[in-house]
Amino acid sequence: MAVSAMPHLKQTLQHCGLYAGFELRRLWLTRRGLMTLAATTVIWFFLLRYAIAPAADVIASDGFQQLFRDMFGSFGLNQLFAWPAPELAIYWILSLLLLPLLCLFFTANQLCSDAERGTLRLLALRSSRLSIVLGRFAGQMLVQGCLILLSLAATLSLAAWREGGLTLPMLHAAAVIAVNLLLVLLPFTALMSCFSAMVRSSRLAVSLAIVSLGLMFALLSWFIFYFPDFLFLLGYLPGTQVIQLLPLQGWQTLQHALLPLLQTLVLLSAASLLLTRKAL
Amino acid sequence: MKPIIQCRDLSKRFGSKTVLQQLSFELEPGDVAALIGPNGAGKTTLFSILCGYLRPDSGSVSLFGHPAGSSALFGKVAALAQDAQFDPAFSIGEQLNFYGRLQGLSRKAAHEETLRVLALVDLADQVQQKAAALSHGMRKRAAIAQAFIGSPQLILLDEPTAGLDPVNALHIRQLISHLSGDVSFMISSHNIFELEQLCNKVLYLEQGKLQAEAAGDTDKQQCYLTLQLEDDNAGAVTQALRQLPGLTDIRLLQKKELLLCYEPQQNANFDLALLQCLAANGLRYRNLTKGQTLEQKLFSAR
Repeated sequence: MAVSAMPHLKQTLQHCGLYAGFELRRLWLTRRGLMTLAATTVIWFFLLRYAIAPAADVIASDGFQQLFRDMFGSFGLNQLFAWPAPELAIYWILSLLLLPLLCLFFTANQLCSDAERGTLRLLALRSSRLSIVLGRFAGQMLVQGCLILLSLAATLSLAAWREGGLTLPMLHAAAVIAVNLLLVLLPFTALMSCFSAMVRSSRLAVSLAIVSLGLMFALLSWFIFYFPDFLFLLGYLPGTQVIQLLPLQGWQTLQHALLPLLQTLVLLSAASLLLTRKAL
Repeated sequence: MKPIIQCRDLSKRFGSKTVLQQLSFELEPGDVAALIGPNGAGKTTLFSILCGYLRPDSGSVSLFGHPAGSSALFGKVAALAQDAQFDPAFSIGEQLNFYGRLQGLSRKAAHEETLRVLALVDLADQVQQKAAALSHGMRKRAAIAQAFIGSPQLILLDEPTAGLDPVNALHIRQLISHLSGDVSFMISSHNIFELEQLCNKVLYLEQGKLQAEAAGDTDKQQCYLTLQLEDDNAGAVTQALRQLPGLTDIRLLQKKELLLCYEPQQNANFDLALLQCLAANGLRYRNLTKGQTLEQKLFSAR
């Protein structure tokens, strides 16, 4: 049984790699991909120019740091000053809060356009639907990884320009940020896999995702109001670890990695099941 | 010989509408089967089930002994699915390369295969074009090309020549004819004359039921001759031919077309006698076809 499953596993992994590579080509070599890059550049230009750069100057001043410690020290947010560059601290906060939302929009079209135009029929004759779901998901993670690395590189350049050079702790912190952001984005991207497997329009997939997340939060809050013992359930919603991650830094952030990984596993299984049962 | 397609009591409903009802048939290796039926008869639904796009509500379907959509069929079964379009962001060549890679070809082999299949449908010079830059007919030919990637053993073609100009339609027919024997085909089309030329087996679907299943040339069909006349003189021709020994029935199909039924045991050279009779009476003909046309076989009794 295990021996017969091996060729399937190998083929699935090969197909996932091909799909992921194809999505990377879509980012770098197609008009739509270049538009995504341009949109990301514009967003990050404004964030760097009008938020991160001025905020970094303010944060770097001793007076502000003392004031901030007095106000938020008890919440652990004073840890933000421990980042090797204030630009990275601001980037960390902004991207943790902003990227999950942007992710819903950027990754909404994993399957729906292909289903609508019938391209999935051409693919389903050559690879399993599991490969399609996993490959497209891996492709979206690679694409987001590229976008995160580009924006991090811009933030590091800003920090290096202000500090007068790039240091090893800065690069180390940037690596921590990149890994954690990808972990945070995993369940959101998997969630969009589910919704894009369900519907035939990316706009509808985004709407469904926002409504479902909002509704789930509202229902849970209402439930917890009457049954406070179940407060822990809120912690299982995608992205709830973001608040806990904010005051952390270094590789200790990975203590919150298990939940998004498990959420991703569950959501990808659901996406695969949805696409397998879907009429193409 | 093991059947390559085996359908048993296949049924499919969409809401309250029954699209396929207890459909059973088999296809042997090398068969070129025609799937005929009016609009809404269930042809595309049957194709979708065979490709694994849809699941039947009941019954079983297997291709080469595997369930439809199984990973064992990747690269073995190819299809031209109705309305399936290419990704508009990539060129046709890039997408065919990608399909080749998914079918297990190396980068180089996939590129060569892309050029080969595009050349088969006369699109070798369009390899860099995106689907949006191609005409409807060219997109259709590119979609047919993807079905020939690798070495499929069964190709399912849903209306392969619909929307093609006559020259390209002929080219596609020649391609199918050339490959038949090595590859089995199942072709759905409304062009009965096209199917008659290509297919050795006919499945006639109506309201989701298999109304007729006919093999190609049989002894029974040898008892028919279809005669197309040059002049509008069917009455005179009928009168002249009635005296021929072995003739059992003569029917006017159209204004200048007669169907003759005869018994070969009584007159083994009936066709020769017919031509001699026409010549002796100075009656001109345009075409003499052995057997009934597929159209007559399917619809004359309805």
